[in-house]
Formats: sequence, C-alpha cells, structure tokens
Amino acid sequence: MKVKYFQLVLMAILIAVPTLIFSQAKITGLKIIENVYNRETGNDMQSDLTMSLINSRGDQRVRKIKQFVKNFGNMEKKIMFFVSPADVRNTSFMNWSYDEAGKDDDQWIYLPALKKVKRISSDSKSDYFMGSDFTYDDLGDRHPTEDNHKLLREEKVDGEDCYVVESIPKDEEYTYSRTVSWIIKDKWIGLKKEFYDEDEELLKTLTVKKYEKIKGYWTILSNEMHNVQKEHTTKMELANVKLDTGIPANKFSERMMKRGLK
Amino acid sequence: MRKLYFKISWVVFALFIFINGANGQSLNFSGYARNYIGMLLTGNNDYAIIQNTFNLNIEQSKDKVAFKANPYIYQYPNQEMEIGLREAYMDIYFNTVDLRIGKQQIIWGKADGVFITDIVSPKDLSEFLLRDFDEIRMGITALKADYYLGDNTFEFVWTPRFTATQMPDESSIWFPKMDFPVSPVFDYSQNQVEANLENSEVFAKYSALTSAIDFEIMGGYMWDDDPTMHITKTIDPQTHKLTGLTVTPRHHRLGLAGGSFSSTLGGFVLRGEGAYYNGKYFNSEDPTLADGTVKKNYFHYLIGMDYTLWGIRLSSQFIQQAILDYDEPIKNDEYENTMTVLASKDFLRETLRLELFSYIGLNNSDALIRPKVIYNLADGFELLLGANIFVGDTGRFGQYDDNDMVYTKVKYSF
Repeated sequence: MKVKYFQLVLMAILIAVPTLIFSQAKITGLKIIENVYNRETGNDMQSDLTMSLINSRGDQRVRKIKQFVKNFGNMEKKIMFFVSPADVRNTSFMNWSYDEAGKDDDQWIYLPALKKVKRISSDSKSDYFMGSDFTYDDLGDRHPTEDNHKLLREEKVDGEDCYVVESIPKDEEYTYSRTVSWIIKDKWIGLKKEFYDEDEELLKTLTVKKYEKIKGYWTILSNEMHNVQKEHTTKMELANVKLDTGIPANKFSERMMKRGLK
Repeated sequence: MRKLYFKISWVVFALFIFINGANGQSLNFSGYARNYIGMLLTGNNDYAIIQNTFNLNIEQSKDKVAFKANPYIYQYPNQEMEIGLREAYMDIYFNTVDLRIGKQQIIWGKADGVFITDIVSPKDLSEFLLRDFDEIRMGITALKADYYLGDNTFEFVWTPRFTATQMPDESSIWFPKMDFPVSPVFDYSQNQVEANLENSEVFAKYSALTSAIDFEIMGGYMWDDDPTMHITKTIDPQTHKLTGLTVTPRHHRLGLAGGSFSSTLGGFVLRGEGAYYNGKYFNSEDPTLADGTVKKNYFHYLIGMDYTLWGIRLSSQFIQQAILDYDEPIKNDEYENTMTVLASKDFLRETLRLELFSYIGLNNSDALIRPKVIYNLADGFELLLGANIFVGDTGRFGQYDDNDMVYTKVKYSF
C-alpha cells in the first residue's frame, strides 16, 4: 500500500513539475500584450499633459492639454481641453472607445470659432496628433486582436526584466509593418517600443522615461517618441495626475466640451 | 459721439481691470490682433478692404457662475473706428440646468457655411460671406436655458428684441444687385420691428449626442431676418407706363421647424439638415399683386459628407431651397440648388495648411472659389494668403463677378 502511494506521488510530481515549468515558459506574445491592454489603470484619471515638439535644430514648440479619462465598463470616455498655444485655446476633443473588437471609436471636436461640436471620423488613426510624432493610434489602446504577436526573447532593460514582443498588423495597409515592444514582466508596462515603416526600416522609437505607482496603479508619467528618419522628437509629460477621484459621468458630454475648463 | 463712446468704454474697461486686480480675482484674457488687406483683381486694383482688428475675450468663472465679454475694434484708415461687443453674457450653472443671460452667439445645426436651422443669431453680411464665421454671426441679447438629461439636451431661447441681418452699405461693393426696371426709391419707415414683448422671438431645440448618431430637432417663432421688399408702382395714367417704384423693406413673422443629424459610416461622416418655413414672403412679377410679394411655404435642406482621402480632408454638401405651391411669376426659382466643396491638407507638422472652399450655384452656373494658404510662423502667429474668385454673371455669387480679389491676413493670437 505504501509503495503504491509512493508511486502515485512520484507520478504526480513527474507530471506536475514539467507542466509547471512548461506553463511558465509558455506565455505567448498575445497574452503579454493582452496583459498590457488589460492592466488596471484606475476607474478615472485627470492630468495636465505637456507635449513638446523638438525638431532637428532643437527648436521647440509646446502644446498644453488638460485631460480626463473614465472607464465605463465596456467603454472608455476621454475628453481633452487645449490650453495652449493661444490659437487653439478652448478647443476640446472627446473620444469614446469600446472594448468590443472592431467597433470604431466615436470622436467629436469643439471649435470655439464655430461654437459647434462636430462629429469626426476616427478612421484616420494613422494621422499624427497635433503635428507630434504620435499618431492617434500610438496614443490610444490598440486592441490586441489587430496584430499577430510573437514573443521574441526575454532581456533586461534599465534593470527591469522584460519580454520582447513583435507585433505584426493583420491589416497590410497599416502605417507600420511591425512593432517591437519591451514589456516589464511584473508591471505589464511597455518600457520601450520600436516602430518599423513599410520598408521594414526603423521609423520611430518610444521610450518611457518615468513611471510611478499612484494609488496602487502603475502610471506612465513621461515618455519620448523619436522619429529616427526625420530627427524629430516629441516629449510627453503628465503632471497633477489624479486617479480614482470619481469624475462625474457628465464630464464627458457636449455640455462640457462647450463649457471648456470653466 | 462715437469717439467719446470709445474713450468712455476704455476708461470703464481699465477701471474694471484695476478694481478686479485689486480684489485679487483672476481674469482670463485672450484674443487676437489682425491686419487684413484685400485687393481687387479688376480695374485699377482698388483695395477691397484695409482693416486692422483687435478682438479681446475677457472671461472669469467661479464655482457656479461665469461671465464673458468680447469687445472688438475694426479700424479702417481715414475712417472712424467701428467698436462693438460681439458677446457679453453671464452663465449660471445648476446641477442639470445652465442659464446664459446677455448678448450671445447661438449656433445650431450640422451644416458648414450654410444657414438652415442656424437661424437664432442673425448674420453680418457687410462683406458678403467672406468674413470668418465668428464675425458673420452677430450676438443677440437673449436668455438661453439648457436642461440636460444624460446625453440629451433641451434648449430654450428667448430673444426680447429682434435683430435683423446686417446688410452692406448701399455704397459697398458687396451691396446686392437689385433688378428693377426703373430706379427705385427706398422707404425705410417700416423696416424696424417695434421693441415689445409681443414682438420677441422664441426658439426651442432638443438634441442628443449618442454613439450611433447626433441629432437636433428644433422650432422657432421668429421674424424673418431678411426684410421682404414690398414694391409700390407708380404708373402714368395716360401712357400706362411705369414711372416710379417705391421699395419698402419690411420684416415678417416666420414659423419654422426642422432638424439635423450627423453620423459616421466607416470612414465617412454623413450630415443632413432641413427646415420647413411656414409663411415666407417672396417677390413676384404677378401684376395682380398689390405690393409685388406673395407668401409661400418653403423647404430648405442639405445633405453632406466628410471624408479623408490620401491625407486630404474632403467635405461636400448639396443644398436645395424649394418653394412649395410655386407660382410661375415668383422671381426666385422653384428649386434653387447649391453645392459646397472643401478640400484641405496640412503640411510641415500642421504649420502649413492648403485649403480650397467653394460655393457652387447650380441654377445660374455661378460660384465663389476660395483658395488659401495658411502658415504658422510661430505658435499663435498666422500668415494667410488667399483669393476670392467669383464665377458667372448672375446669381448669388455671379453678381460679384467684378469683385475677384486676393488678400492677406496676419494674425497674432494671445
């Protein structure tokens, strides 16, 4: 009886140990990107965004935006109020994005000169945001199902253990032929990302400069997108970040777009 | 008198800032200074306009209240300055209701550059349709109340005093051409609408902004912003020939109901807007009519589409004005069809924009073509070079065929 019991335990160990080892190593590129996509970021966030556009001569143009984001379960609403430069002050932009794969975002813009909220198409996600090096898609959460992901390797970057994942878009007409992301293992934050153009040449590099845990959520506070082909850089810095303050749902409305930051 | 008014205004303004500063309250100032020079391409290349503008927005908000004043100055060489208040209003914010009281611009509808349900604020057509839209729309004294229920808005507007369309001076190159067999005499004695409660205007709108569609349903009991030209003929009893015409502009009551929508379909944004005008006056050549006018119901609608192709933002609209129960002698066509086309593209990281906007009159084969190049030399500093080309001989745009012009605008925003 004792022998039989021992044999059973041994068999269980023999089966379980390799399974455990194998499952540790088996994490897929898709799972990694899904973990980044589904990382808890709080129910709502408000912050002051400063975007600095720096050209190859070092000339700098600065855009300031006050932004609010709130998670509504199966959708996320975001509203941005442009503070500077002066000619875009009081312009506001609202985006509703949906978890449902394939469902396009809804977007509106309020132009104070027209005093009207206009619905705009979210189809041009490859367009650059306000002349920066970020496309609208770079700024948003690209749905993991839009690319095929492959775990390339694991390596250390800035003292952090990272997964290196290659993502190839399913849409062959997409702006980038592929991207390579360095994801911090235990935080599910993309620390670095390379974007390759249609000729497979490196186009841009995104580097996260500062991230902190705020109210228990890992939050990126500063990053930099460098276009290596055009020698142009955009720095994005978040200040006055407030999480889970209970932003009212009506903040994300036509009423508030028109009212602005009053 | 105007100079005195100007000085007093600025003293009051300076005093206001001083007092405000002393109280430690923060006011927000923004606005622009602009130089605008336009030159005609015909004749002796006369200047169509030389104008310097100073536009100031003064705003302050507290928890539940806010205010805004928007004084402006148009300065023309060797002429008196034109000063005014485009807006001056106060806001009161409640939980689900906002009130706005004072002089304000109220913009409705989904159309671009076309006024169908956008009839609350009258238009300043001193320079035809060439001014920026915030300068074409005049502020009106009104009480506006908005009630919000989720993504639905109910809006009510009461304007105690009617304001008419601002027409160009008779000496202006933008004064519309009027086709009369003999030179008319204008009698402006009935052009004003008496200021009393009975003559006030009311407007109401229900709007919703949803994931699938944005729409508005509106109605108004108003005065026609454009006066009807009532014509009295003087006929020689012996020769039975027309010897004189007296034109009496007069505004009439008008009821209208309409709506608009905007929705996305793939990469396209589809827009529509329409309004039914109950009892609008039209000029007619019917000799049996005593004053040359006839009252008809009228439908004005638009369908439009916005899309992006090769990085070029494109927008086109088809507009139709239809007179119902049409009589042949009416001077306007039974159906008047117009199109607008817009194409624009940004270059150099949105510091350079090329734009082409055009109104095309399909009935008279006339058009207004407006190409422009806008360059942001620095943030908030804009250089604009543009042209206004009028095509055709007759029609809303063709009548200005001699007014083709090139222009520059230099604008500093702060």
